[in-house]
Amino acid sequence: MKKASPSLTRRSLVLATGAALAAPALVHAQAEDIVIGGSIPMTGVFAFAGVGINAGITDYVKMVNDAGGIKGRKIRYVPEDTAYKVDVSVAAFKKITSQNKVNLYYGDSTGFAKTINPELDRNANILMAGASFATELNDPKKYPNQFLVGPDYTEMFGILLRHIAKEKPGAKVAFVYSDSEFGRDPIDESEALAKKLGLSVAAKIMTPPGSVDVSTEVIKLRRAAPDYTIFHGYILAPIPEFIQQGKQQGMTSKWMGTFWTMDSSTVMKMGEAGDGFMGVMPFRYYYDTSAKAPMLDKIRAMRPEYQSTAYMQGFLTAMLFTEAAKRTLDAGKALNGANLKAALNSIKDFDTGGIIGVPVTISGNSIPVGRVYRADMKAQKMVPASDWIKLN
Amino acid sequence: MRIGTLKESYVADAALFDSVTQKAWLGVGAALLLLFPFVANDYWLYLACLVAINVASATGLNILTGYTGLVSLGQAAFMGLGAYTVAILEIHTGSPFAVNLLAGGGVAMLGGLIVGIPSLRVKGLYLAIATIAASFIAHFLFANLSFTGGTGGLSMPPASLFGLPLDTSFRLYWLILPVTIAMLWGAANLFRTRVGRAFIAIRDRDISAEVLGIPLLRYKLLSFGLSSFYAGVAGGLWAYFFRVVTPESFPLLMSIFFLAAIIVGGMGTILGGILGAVFMTMVPEVLKLVFDLLPGGTAMTVFLSPVRTVIFGLLIVGFLVFEPHGLAEVWRRIRRYFHLWPFRH
Repeated sequence: MKKASPSLTRRSLVLATGAALAAPALVHAQAEDIVIGGSIPMTGVFAFAGVGINAGITDYVKMVNDAGGIKGRKIRYVPEDTAYKVDVSVAAFKKITSQNKVNLYYGDSTGFAKTINPELDRNANILMAGASFATELNDPKKYPNQFLVGPDYTEMFGILLRHIAKEKPGAKVAFVYSDSEFGRDPIDESEALAKKLGLSVAAKIMTPPGSVDVSTEVIKLRRAAPDYTIFHGYILAPIPEFIQQGKQQGMTSKWMGTFWTMDSSTVMKMGEAGDGFMGVMPFRYYYDTSAKAPMLDKIRAMRPEYQSTAYMQGFLTAMLFTEAAKRTLDAGKALNGANLKAALNSIKDFDTGGIIGVPVTISGNSIPVGRVYRADMKAQKMVPASDWIKLN
Repeated sequence: MRIGTLKESYVADAALFDSVTQKAWLGVGAALLLLFPFVANDYWLYLACLVAINVASATGLNILTGYTGLVSLGQAAFMGLGAYTVAILEIHTGSPFAVNLLAGGGVAMLGGLIVGIPSLRVKGLYLAIATIAASFIAHFLFANLSFTGGTGGLSMPPASLFGLPLDTSFRLYWLILPVTIAMLWGAANLFRTRVGRAFIAIRDRDISAEVLGIPLLRYKLLSFGLSSFYAGVAGGLWAYFFRVVTPESFPLLMSIFFLAAIIVGGMGTILGGILGAVFMTMVPEVLKLVFDLLPGGTAMTVFLSPVRTVIFGLLIVGFLVFEPHGLAEVWRRIRRYFHLWPFRH
């Protein structure tokens, strides 16, 4: 065997030592992952949405990473189950942020969004969005590091009321809502808006959340004889009960709901009584092929079975997170809360690939766009009942 | 092997900690608690604070249920009273946190005294149902009074000490832990007094206690008051910890959580309240950590989360079946084993 010359060995040693010394520096120079943390309710009362949200975020993150990430940086999604409990959500936040350098975060509830806000302000490195559409969060001054992925609840009512005012000027409307923060959220402001739009609020009925026996409330509603009844602050119960009893008592009202009621599977559970049920939806349904939607096509290719509106919300959240991160990095700025939020607010006429049917602009903390969909029980689908309605 | 502990006076006999070994271990425990914030990350500090708050509230419920034998499902409502009082005082008066916490405890105590009135006539399940009313009434008041912020609740500034805001888990640890330890100390001493013994007598047989000259109404109300005071202070700490108080912050389920904590921990012992609160708060988190070690990553989270909940439920059932006297009894058995070690009997 030929012996290596001393000079060659020395050179190899020098090279090896150099490589060994440079390795940590190279690793360090390699860009860090962009981390999306998530307090996701995968068990508990909100699990039906949490599972969809989780899938939506996971899919979009995979799509971006498969395409090379953002400026060569991979996105890492770190979710934790919260069971829709605020203290568990906060624990998840603390756990995820103490183990990862988190840039973006998905929160599961209004309670969590409010509780964690001082921590977001203090931390200053995270931009957060989530499952809440609470009107209170739509305040860039009070919640500078958060945004809503869609219209807030008052804006959802605004979209419905505008649709009603256009469809039947001077109509009588009724608000039926749950006795919870969620339920009461848009009521007062929407009553004022209804009057401004020339509509009259014939009844405001508050029930316990998830109540079953609503016969006395239905009688009250029948007496008010509204042309439109808007339900808010519920997922499903007691809406089918209201509609069924109302129809039995000869009511001719049109029935409406807001985002968390409007998943296709939820509405279809209403059975025959739910035929014609309408509501506001900020996103296009999975099966809506009424217009070109390349992003929905990609989702359908990835997941051939129906994906919930919660999935769309999670998917779009990840999309907006990514866009904000991309714009921040493009501007050569650090990924911190203020820069990410500024980048998000620079989004003008952004094409979501058809998930929202019109280009979106995020000037504040919400995306005040939505469309009214109507349940077609025969086709077992939600079909568009209006064009996309943009507020402001 | 420990042969015995020589006690030469009544004072020594009634001492809270009666052996050198016990005091030495307490010293070690105290040192660990002092060292903990400097080595733990934000997550563990958060959990430590949450455990301490839950220990305080569980100890309060233990005074009422474990030591006096009065079942209550209103603990969360009293915590809510304390939390709202603290939040309102902090927002509107900016008074020192010590004053606010005492006021929170005081208001909750008043609530407890009112809710405790039926305890002379009803006990057991009947009293439990009567105390549920406290939850409903408190929720209604929190959601409908203007100064409680309605359904939106109240967001409050952090507690501050000499101008330093206590706005991180690290800083809050130094507020929450001493308060909890003081409350534990108070509860442990309570049962070395005439009042505490009267509570125990009422628990063991209330009619006999009355025959012995213990005025039932006074002592039952006192027990309710003390328990609620503990809940109120714990609620105040909770408010400082989360800084947002809403009507939905203190659901009925939270009362059940504390009842479960003292049952799992061991009713009628201070240690039981501590261990139960630690178990109920920490086991779901520990299960999370264990499940995180399983392969599959985030894709498995969606499948494993419900499994974790089921395991937590089974653990509670397991404890109740195999050790109805709770974790405190397990701990006592472990201690006894080491007292006798290396002998079996």
